[in-house]
Amino acid sequence: MFGSKSFHRVREKRVRKSRPPAWAVLLVAIFALWESVSLSGLVSSTQLPALHDVFLALIQLAGTPFFLVHVGQSFANVTTGVSLALVLVFPLALLVGMRSQLDQAITPIIMLVGALPDLAILTLLVTVIGRGNVAAVAISAFSAFFPVYFTIRQGVKEIPGDYFHVASVFKAGRVQTFTKMILPSIFPNLVTGLRLSFEFSWNVLLAVEVIASVAGIGTFISSSLGSSAHSLTYGLAAIMTVGLMTIAIDRAFFERFENRIKRWR
Amino acid sequence: MHVELSNVTKVYEDPPQIVTALKDISFHVKEGEFLCIVGPSGCGKSTLLRMIAGLDQPSSGQIRFRGDLLTAPHSKISMVFQTFALLPWRTVVQNVEFGLEVQGRPKKERAEVAMDLLDMVGLKGSENLFPKQLSGGMKQRVGIARALAIDPEVVLMDEAFSAIDEFTAESLRAEVAEIHNETRKTFLLVTHNLPEAIELADRILVLSARPATVKSIVGIEMERPRIQTDSEFVSIHRDIFALLQAELENSIMRHRLSGLKEFKRLPDMEDR
Repeated sequence: MFGSKSFHRVREKRVRKSRPPAWAVLLVAIFALWESVSLSGLVSSTQLPALHDVFLALIQLAGTPFFLVHVGQSFANVTTGVSLALVLVFPLALLVGMRSQLDQAITPIIMLVGALPDLAILTLLVTVIGRGNVAAVAISAFSAFFPVYFTIRQGVKEIPGDYFHVASVFKAGRVQTFTKMILPSIFPNLVTGLRLSFEFSWNVLLAVEVIASVAGIGTFISSSLGSSAHSLTYGLAAIMTVGLMTIAIDRAFFERFENRIKRWR
Repeated sequence: MHVELSNVTKVYEDPPQIVTALKDISFHVKEGEFLCIVGPSGCGKSTLLRMIAGLDQPSSGQIRFRGDLLTAPHSKISMVFQTFALLPWRTVVQNVEFGLEVQGRPKKERAEVAMDLLDMVGLKGSENLFPKQLSGGMKQRVGIARALAIDPEVVLMDEAFSAIDEFTAESLRAEVAEIHNETRKTFLLVTHNLPEAIELADRILVLSARPATVKSIVGIEMERPRIQTDSEFVSIHRDIFALLQAELENSIMRHRLSGLKEFKRLPDMEDR
């Protein structure tokens, strides 16, 4: 009744269900290592706080409105900055992808600006504009600019010529060609661009916040380092929070888009 | 006279060279006929078809459809592509509906027309698949259905069977012949496959090598379905093949004499 093939298939399924994902196993191993190193006294708690202390600090912080406001502020600034960059860059990247003459004129200049050290520039920017949310949004927008520009530009360039021919032959006007052909075509590139921009902006913003004391989690992290004995613990907890938030947003938002794209790609 | 070309010339400028792809091409297409255009590779037959599709303009000369000058794509002239060119994010039925969507037809009407056509090309049941799930032959069937959805008078086929394996292509050809017989639309097929042309065409337009001119127009009188091993088929094939062969040798000679060491490829369509 059970041929050997179907029997193996049943066995495989059962085995697959009970095994935890590899990354979880590895993470637990890393945590275990951390905890054992701390507990053994090999490294002093002023250099590396124990894992359980950091977890406790994390839980404490999560209930602190002050902390949550900071986190929310940084997040809002990044989102605003990325959206701003998208609105500004999208038409430019579109044009540049479609007309190679424009591309040859503009892209080298963008690359030049991109080659400049961004953290240095942005820290200078803060001294000019001042600390605050305006500077934070400007910083986010600036760092988001480049990933969005290049991914959208690449997406447009990769559109097969025949898609344009299809749009022409079936008499799609400019707007229709854009909405029915170009936009869906570059949607995967757009998602990639936004994902990258979000990551870059987050990191750059936090770095600038730490360096230049702009309001946000970065400031929290840097100020916590200066004060009490347990400040490093709180600093690490804050950093972990940011990491968790990034993963959460990625999963909730971007991964949904990616799955939709995988259906037809 | 459905489509008429008068002294159509196409010149590409790529300084310092000037390449004449098509020179002084004049012919007409009868309403309801199946016309095949054959010629040596790179001679510009696809360029010719693209101009009739409105995707490109002649450098001089005129193309007329039903007597009116053609300068842009026409709503009654449709096209099937060698690369299939299906939009991958759309399902099969959504692809077929594309032209109707652009025209603003209501949803119900679009769905009806599309499903009818999918039935006609033998894809009933596959309407919600994505192009990535289809074989080459199936994709081209979708392409054909899409082209027919807007109820065109002229169907242009640019090497429509060239990217499909021979067995599938054979059955697809028979289906297209059947569709032509039933709908009596004007079909224009560009192909480098001579037996394919002889199998399908009422007339065959033979182009010379670049700069392409009309070398010959051959009428095919055989009854359908046409069997490739029939003696009449074979003899027609022999004659036209000899024409093409001579053409190829001529052009090689011409290039040798003019000192050109290699064939220059026609530029792709770059800026959209």
